[in-house]
Amino acid sequence: MFEILKSMMKEEWRSHSTMFGSLMFFLFPVVISIFAFIGTLFLPVLENMLATDQIAILVHYLFVLFGLSVGAFGLFGREVMNRRFGQASMIAYSSRTLPISEREIFLNFFIKDVTYYFLLWILPFVIGFAAASPFISINLSYSGILLTTLTLSFLIGLSISFFFSTIYVHSFKLLVSILLLAVFLEILASNFFYINLLESLPTLSFFFVPSIKKIILSLSIILTLSSFSIIFMKVDYPEKKRRFKNSLGTLANKLRFSKYSFFIVKDFLDLKRSEGGVGKIIFSFLFPLAILWLLLSVFLKILPFSDFTVIFAVFLGVISSSMYNWLTEFDLFTAYSFLPVKVSTVIKSKLSSYVLINSISLIILILVTLTGGNFYYFLPAVLSFLAVSSYSLAVTVYLTGLYPSILLYNAKIFLLYFLLMSPILLALIFLSLFNPFYLFVSPLLAFPSFYLFKKSFTKWDSWNQPSF
Amino acid sequence: MKNVFETKHLTKNFGNLKAVDNVSLSVKEGELFGLLGPNGSGKTTMVKLLTGQIKPTKGTATVLGVNVLKNPIGVRELVGVMPEQENPPSFLTAEEYLHFVAKIRKLEDVEEKSNYWFELLDFEDQKDVLCKDLSRGTRQKLMFAQTFLHEPKLVFIDEPLINLDPIIQRKVKDYLMDFSKNGGTIFFCTHVLEIAEEICTSIGIIYRGRIIYEGTMKDLKKRRQHLEDFFLKMVKEA
Repeated sequence: MFEILKSMMKEEWRSHSTMFGSLMFFLFPVVISIFAFIGTLFLPVLENMLATDQIAILVHYLFVLFGLSVGAFGLFGREVMNRRFGQASMIAYSSRTLPISEREIFLNFFIKDVTYYFLLWILPFVIGFAAASPFISINLSYSGILLTTLTLSFLIGLSISFFFSTIYVHSFKLLVSILLLAVFLEILASNFFYINLLESLPTLSFFFVPSIKKIILSLSIILTLSSFSIIFMKVDYPEKKRRFKNSLGTLANKLRFSKYSFFIVKDFLDLKRSEGGVGKIIFSFLFPLAILWLLLSVFLKILPFSDFTVIFAVFLGVISSSMYNWLTEFDLFTAYSFLPVKVSTVIKSKLSSYVLINSISLIILILVTLTGGNFYYFLPAVLSFLAVSSYSLAVTVYLTGLYPSILLYNAKIFLLYFLLMSPILLALIFLSLFNPFYLFVSPLLAFPSFYLFKKSFTKWDSWNQPSF
Repeated sequence: MKNVFETKHLTKNFGNLKAVDNVSLSVKEGELFGLLGPNGSGKTTMVKLLTGQIKPTKGTATVLGVNVLKNPIGVRELVGVMPEQENPPSFLTAEEYLHFVAKIRKLEDVEEKSNYWFELLDFEDQKDVLCKDLSRGTRQKLMFAQTFLHEPKLVFIDEPLINLDPIIQRKVKDYLMDFSKNGGTIFFCTHVLEIAEEICTSIGIIYRGRIIYEGTMKDLKKRRQHLEDFFLKMVKEA
């Protein structure tokens, strides 16, 4: 049991350190610690705008959100790894060649993933917080509590994601029914029983008032949902051949306005035919967005000058750029490298696919505006959404090319990403707090975006493509 | 006969490893040239260098009159390449993949061209199957088909027979020999010496990145030497 886990841990370390060197991978948690340290030093400034309780809610839900996103990878992780490393080249595929059950492998894989995320993100975050605590007179004991509650919050998000993805692979209708029931119960709880769902997260209430009962409750949620996922996981061996009618030409014909029509259709077929199908969109995009919506609805009640739609639009722009990651997950440039195709051509085709897929985000923004009933700031909201999503996409493409989900774990690239993104986001949020119409300046981001895209094409064309 | 490609002092280093070391080589039109060598000797790196998939550390290469370093896309437009690892996109069917390649290569009569290959290599019943669900042998047939789809004059093929059954191997070998007799040139990487001995017109032996022998099969036959014995002797002496 532990041998498998140990080997998986080594495998994970080696696969990342081979990609961009041991040092850059090793430095990644150091960068997280530095960010957490600086962020903690700014807490007294932030406390002028938000109450300490509100900051605690924000941080805990960010880790739930993180767990949800990581869990979404479980939906299509197998196919991504198949593509990247080839069939049966990793321990995760050993059940086919060695006497180990798929469930045992999955359990080890789950523990390995949790350990890695703990070491790469959660622990460095808390270390950064602990290091800064004495400077702003926070008791060090809070660090210990925070380590427990953030780890459990992450695990709750992760197990929720696994739970829903397990239901999804069995029945999409059942998933929709459960989600609708959850929304109904939430409305019932908040409107008739006046229960604040946001504050009822057990890890959060443990943070405010520690008690063993809340820890047991958190662990019960995690264990119940994870056990359900492991017991009911669907073992899907690729022995069944899936057949499809040739739809490449017909669909490309509908997109003939684009010179990348065939590439766009290929991206669409990748998403549609791969494991999880549209479920990937629900788990890795709409779920985090729903939590963001929930968080903003609470926080913006205490920030009277801000407008929900405008702030939501700015964050939506950043989150929507993550859709570029999906588009690159199923493709390796090695599949094109022997054909007369440039790297920049593949990137441009992905950008075209992104523009089409990003209409989902625009529809969400329109729906959020309609739900809120406030159309006054709709135009600056749309403009800032478009500007931020183009800019964050340009930054992602410039820094990571066709490999965003791999190269962002390079400490240097992650740092650059953070430095290029955060000042812009902070500036837009502050501007919107003064007056949402100030966001009419956001289209100015088109200039750096255009510049970064142009530089990206030259940069990645001249790069020797790796084989990961 | 003119040279279809020519390299001068071609070198590729990966860190401290010299994968290709100062190779000056040329192949004439209509030849079926076999590049032979043990695992890791530099055969695949040579193909990647000659088709502009990677950049050389030093040296030059010209393929069909096009400078590979200056215009790699131009080279790949003209030639066909069959990579060592068969990795067509997972979620396209075999037929969709050939149509996709045809679109990239701006070809007409895609239906007719792809059906020819499905029939020739006997995998018509697999054309609507997703590439990821195809057997390795069928994926190799598919990659072979995409290599010749645009009827190139020069092809680079890396271990093309390794996963194929004997019936298809025979068909592929016959096709390659006919292609060469009709004026096409083949750069064929392999470590299966029996196949090279059977179909190649000339050979080169590469060992630790260096070409240690270059000559025709006729020369070898004149010396009454089996390729296997000759190969082992050359590698031992190198």
